[in-house]
Amino acid sequence: MKEKRIALVGNPNVGKSTLFNLLTGLRQKVGNYPGMTVEKKTGSFVYGNTKFNLIDLPGTYGIYPTSLDEQVVTDILNDPTHPNHPELAVVIGEPTNLKRSVFLFQQVRDLGIPALFVVNMMDEAEKSGIEFHKEKLNEKLETHVIFTDARNGKGIEELKNKLNSEPEFSEVNYRIPKEFVLAVAETRKLNSSLNDYQAWQYLAQNKIKNLSAEEEIYLNKIKSDNKIISRRLQVKETVNRYETINEMLENVLTRKERKSVSLTERIDQILIHPVLGYLIFFGLLLLIFQAVFAWSGPFMDFIDEGFTWLSGSVGSFLPEGPVNSLITDGIIAGIGGIVIFIPQIVILFLFISIMEESGYMSRVVYLMDRWLKPFGLSGKSAVPLMSGAACAIPAVMSARNIENDKERLITILVTPFMTCSARLPIYVVIIGLIIPEQTFYGFNLQGVALLVMYMLGILGVLGSAWILKKVIKSNFKSYLILELPTYKLPVWRNVLLTVWEKSSGFIFGAGKIILAISIILWVLGSFGMNEDFKNAEQIVSIQNPGLKGQELENEIASYKLEHSILGNMGQVIEPVIKPLGYDWKMGIGLISSFAAREVFVGTMATVYSLGDTEDELTIRGRMAKEINQATAKPAYNFASGVSLLLFYAFAMQCMSTIAVVRKETDSWKWTVIQLIFMTGLAYIAALIAYQILK
Amino acid sequence: MNEPTALYTLKIGQSGRISGFASEEVPVKLYELGLIPGSFVTLRKKLPFGGPVCIQILETHNLIALRKSEARSILIERFL
Repeated sequence: MKEKRIALVGNPNVGKSTLFNLLTGLRQKVGNYPGMTVEKKTGSFVYGNTKFNLIDLPGTYGIYPTSLDEQVVTDILNDPTHPNHPELAVVIGEPTNLKRSVFLFQQVRDLGIPALFVVNMMDEAEKSGIEFHKEKLNEKLETHVIFTDARNGKGIEELKNKLNSEPEFSEVNYRIPKEFVLAVAETRKLNSSLNDYQAWQYLAQNKIKNLSAEEEIYLNKIKSDNKIISRRLQVKETVNRYETINEMLENVLTRKERKSVSLTERIDQILIHPVLGYLIFFGLLLLIFQAVFAWSGPFMDFIDEGFTWLSGSVGSFLPEGPVNSLITDGIIAGIGGIVIFIPQIVILFLFISIMEESGYMSRVVYLMDRWLKPFGLSGKSAVPLMSGAACAIPAVMSARNIENDKERLITILVTPFMTCSARLPIYVVIIGLIIPEQTFYGFNLQGVALLVMYMLGILGVLGSAWILKKVIKSNFKSYLILELPTYKLPVWRNVLLTVWEKSSGFIFGAGKIILAISIILWVLGSFGMNEDFKNAEQIVSIQNPGLKGQELENEIASYKLEHSILGNMGQVIEPVIKPLGYDWKMGIGLISSFAAREVFVGTMATVYSLGDTEDELTIRGRMAKEINQATAKPAYNFASGVSLLLFYAFAMQCMSTIAVVRKETDSWKWTVIQLIFMTGLAYIAALIAYQILK
Repeated sequence: MNEPTALYTLKIGQSGRISGFASEEVPVKLYELGLIPGSFVTLRKKLPFGGPVCIQILETHNLIALRKSEARSILIERFL
């Protein structure tokens, strides 16, 4: 079968993804571009006797990139040897802003890529009284213009039909300005296959990839001989193009007077009102967090019970021994520890993707920019920070559409301070231990404590962002230029696909690491080098002659753990954590938490020799009774509890986040700085708290 | 016709034509969005405490949000 590579190109908010989802259905996958973490969405479908391989490029206004997202578009379109360089580009526009779309269309085609022009969202055209003269538009753009409405599938058949055509066009649209004609001619000598516009790109792009050293010298000489400043060329091209487009489009559309104030304008009167807008946004945040915690409860209980059952039945099915223990305590418990977070992550991303789909997210960026800017963040940081309340991993990845490198870096570095769902089980257990279950002026004290923990997270974000802002230098001026699209009802297919992508990305990406760590922990906790470990059964039965059955087994397990490799590690770090009020058992919890925080509760359960690791109440009961041997006080008293809470609020204890940060920042330096800064801050905060309170 | 003023100083609902930019370092993205000399724009929204503004280009629907600093660098000729 014939195959054909097709790229969807378009401005943001033109329904490009809806069109992509409609064409490819579920036959799509999300990957990364080599060496970049920008998400790459590809998919395929068969029509007639051709297999079309589609790539959904990030939304962009032009081919001069200002963010990582846009850089991808330029890299692919500008380089004919790129594996994703399309054989046909489908440039998508929308009727209420045709000029902007035609602008991009012309740039794409001048690069020598055959292109179709799609005017999507035709329902908007009707609503706003715009009519097109299709023939004239075809003629002016020298291509097939297809009118679609991806939300209800109109025009899709026609688009599929035209995908096999290769509209010829007569000449490059952009006339090279007179003063640069010579320089362009010189540049064409680099490569005989370049057309004028491709050569112009060499001069106008800030950066050209894949040049040999000689070529670079040659190019730089042309640039300096002709006093070329790339940025000025970009501006010149843009202004010139708009002038010709204005003329060109004069007769292709007619506009009737708009009858009334549009729905979007009326909604915006409220949603981005200087006062109401903020009230509604914070109300919405409360609703989201309410939902994340309350709605997820039954699902999490169900998953919890399911895994306990699974572990139990597999445990009794398999013969006793290390393999049994590895599978039930290591692997099943590890997978359970990942799956338990799915409900919270799904609910949060459901809200976030609805906010994005409906157009509200841009308003959030607009509302929050003023308040995040003083901390070196951008309004666009609001999205990663909100996602960070579920899980820092997808949150860090969503920072990629922040244009300014400094704002993006700071966002990535501070997002892990947000209280992610993995911290929650620890907070719940410890708050339950140290805060009495009382009400104070009608407020549940434990609830207030939990709220304080969330506030601490936000404080960590803003405080460290403010410090980073002072430290990091930027090459670029920061700005906010953001289109606020019209409000639309979310397309459920898009919402569900996004939620699926984010949660499956979490499960398979983070899951792999969490699973591996669970197995390592299990190995470290189940094996020991010394004689104490090997003879645990004998020693325990001699020391505790009265114990029988389950109690004896628990005591043996506990003794084994103390003398296992993991137990030894806990004892090694005890001097370091003693000033924070922890004993070696808590030390084991801390060590294992560096893999992933959520491991803490499970590890503590194992440490305190509880057979059933899943029931938080019994763990809490056991922990409440635990006595710190060094201080002879309860191990979880108010001082050590507060210290532990502070440590978990600030410390960077998540391997997956570290891995993602490394990938996203492409820098070990910043990854290590983040790890040291967060963990150092956690240590100091916990130290001060414990020393004052003890 | 008046002396050019910064877009930021317009009142909500006031319009004018872009006459130029106060700085050379204006992001290319502004141009790409169609905010080029000659375009007619209207100031639609403003957030308090020096927050961003929303402007609208003539004959388009979507608002464009700009920070105060960008809105200051765009120069406008107003018509009385």
